[in-house]
Amino acid sequence: MAFLEVKDLQVYFPIKGGILNRTVEYTRAVDGVSFELEQGKTYGLVGESGSGKSTTGRAIIGLEDITSGQVLFEGKDITDKKAKNKNFRKDVQMIFQDPYSSLNPRKRVLDIVAEPLRNYEKLSKQEERKRVQELLDIVNVSPDSIFKYPHEFSGGQRQRIGVARAIALKPKLIIADEPVSALDVSVQAQVLNFLQEIQKELNLTYLFISHDLGVVKHMCDNISIMYKGRYVEQGSTKDIFENPQHIYTKRLIAAIPDIDPRNREKQFEFRKEVTKEYRESFNNYFDSNGLAFGLQSISDTHKVALPEKG
Amino acid sequence: MEADIAKMKEQKSPSAINILLRELFRDKLALVSLIFLILITAFVFGISIFLDKNEIVSVDLFAINTPPSDQFILGTDYGGRDVFGQLIIGTRNSLAIGILVTLISGVFGIAYGVISGYFGGQIDNVLMRVIDFFMVLPFLMIIIVFVSMTRDYSVVTFSLIMAAFSWMGIARLIRSKALQEKELDYAQASKTLGTSNFNIIFKQVLPNITSLIIVTMTLNLAANIGLESGLSFLGFGFPEDTPSLGTLLSYATNPQTLEFRWWIWAPAAILILLLMLAVRNVGEALRRAADARQRRG
Repeated sequence: MAFLEVKDLQVYFPIKGGILNRTVEYTRAVDGVSFELEQGKTYGLVGESGSGKSTTGRAIIGLEDITSGQVLFEGKDITDKKAKNKNFRKDVQMIFQDPYSSLNPRKRVLDIVAEPLRNYEKLSKQEERKRVQELLDIVNVSPDSIFKYPHEFSGGQRQRIGVARAIALKPKLIIADEPVSALDVSVQAQVLNFLQEIQKELNLTYLFISHDLGVVKHMCDNISIMYKGRYVEQGSTKDIFENPQHIYTKRLIAAIPDIDPRNREKQFEFRKEVTKEYRESFNNYFDSNGLAFGLQSISDTHKVALPEKG
Repeated sequence: MEADIAKMKEQKSPSAINILLRELFRDKLALVSLIFLILITAFVFGISIFLDKNEIVSVDLFAINTPPSDQFILGTDYGGRDVFGQLIIGTRNSLAIGILVTLISGVFGIAYGVISGYFGGQIDNVLMRVIDFFMVLPFLMIIIVFVSMTRDYSVVTFSLIMAAFSWMGIARLIRSKALQEKELDYAQASKTLGTSNFNIIFKQVLPNITSLIIVTMTLNLAANIGLESGLSFLGFGFPEDTPSLGTLLSYATNPQTLEFRWWIWAPAAILILLLMLAVRNVGEALRRAADARQRRG
């Protein structure tokens, strides 16, 4: 039994139009995505903006309505919003992208971090305060600052307060929706390393949504590449970075900047080559609508969206 | 550890009241306005207990239109009634109506708007159509009809009638703000943390729109005092034997009074002006206190 299983997930957004405001078409934000997560590992979900990676995460936790497909958490079907009961809410938490809007500006840190505790655990004021201070200590925010407001903190501190809130209930799965995109690079490493530390401590599973391949390479055991709501490639970090099969993946990896200036010419040539290949072989990798094909297994861990062999 | 906990206890967080007070003390104009409002309110409500309303509004033909004197501090009107006494009872009535109408319409409108905006979809659609229905009603006419139908109305019934037609504006405003707020990450985060819809609405979203609520309520208070005065001025508010600021002002419709007997209408007019200004000044200070980034204190 997989820890979290997503089967053929589809999330469509209606486009309204016409005289009676009828639904004329759909935006296929997520169009048939399937994957499985194992406990204790980190899964990367990579794609350009608008590829549906955030929507996938939000649909799993219940912030978007699922059009069709199934989501199983520890064997239980939680596709329907009503099925997302208290236990599920407790076990699955989310870290939001924007640390400036994900903390209620009118609440003190104590209230923000204690919110999940107040929902699930009956603690006395003293116990609650102690727990909050412990959590803040874990995320390296001074425990004295529980009476401050979010606007008194820096971006990195805010994001760590968001993390403290997410781990307050000791969840099993954390959906991290671009947790470091809004932070500057020095703080990114701080937050990422810290996420890895608490993963070991609490045996967390991450679904790590990002567009930064460097970050994903550093963090993840498994990576999935998304394009226009579909998976184009799925495999272990090694598979993806050392043996990319899909032309879209190849292009993404070619686009990672190299810090060694001596390789600049070489990188440039390589990038040109990949771009050329991309143009020439576009029709081999994408169907007539420009969408990716279904996934085919090429090894135990590696799947690529290729046309059916015929 | 023990010492730490002991230290924590001492270091209390500033309560909402403290923040408000600090902001008021920083803004001298608001402080003066607040003191003025409190004094006026305490004065009119206090004094009116000892005043005999029937004596004040009884006609005295021997003292018609007397200018201010020792006997009548602000003179008398065309019925020989003491203007000063009427002013006190009138201010009390006007203030009571203004506050009551604002509170009733505000509480109802805020709850209505925030629920409509937060849930959205079909619920929002139905609730908004109800508002549209109330908006197209010619409310002034309906108030006038109600006022003429209910024979012996009091401050409470009059307030209810007015409130029934003045909650839509604030409801719409709050709804549009709630629509925005519920999309923000902190509201979404509350959902993923397992907070109930009721708690998200009233504990997470509502505090974030308090500044809007306070500003609108304050403006509404001023507007409602004005509306009551307007209705009384037109003759559809309180009858002459129940004075309000509006009834006093309506004496100025007589050109003779307007030109030669300033003591009848001028105090009421000045009082309306001062009341509205003071209410607004306090409202501004409260608005700043509600927003941590705008505070001066």
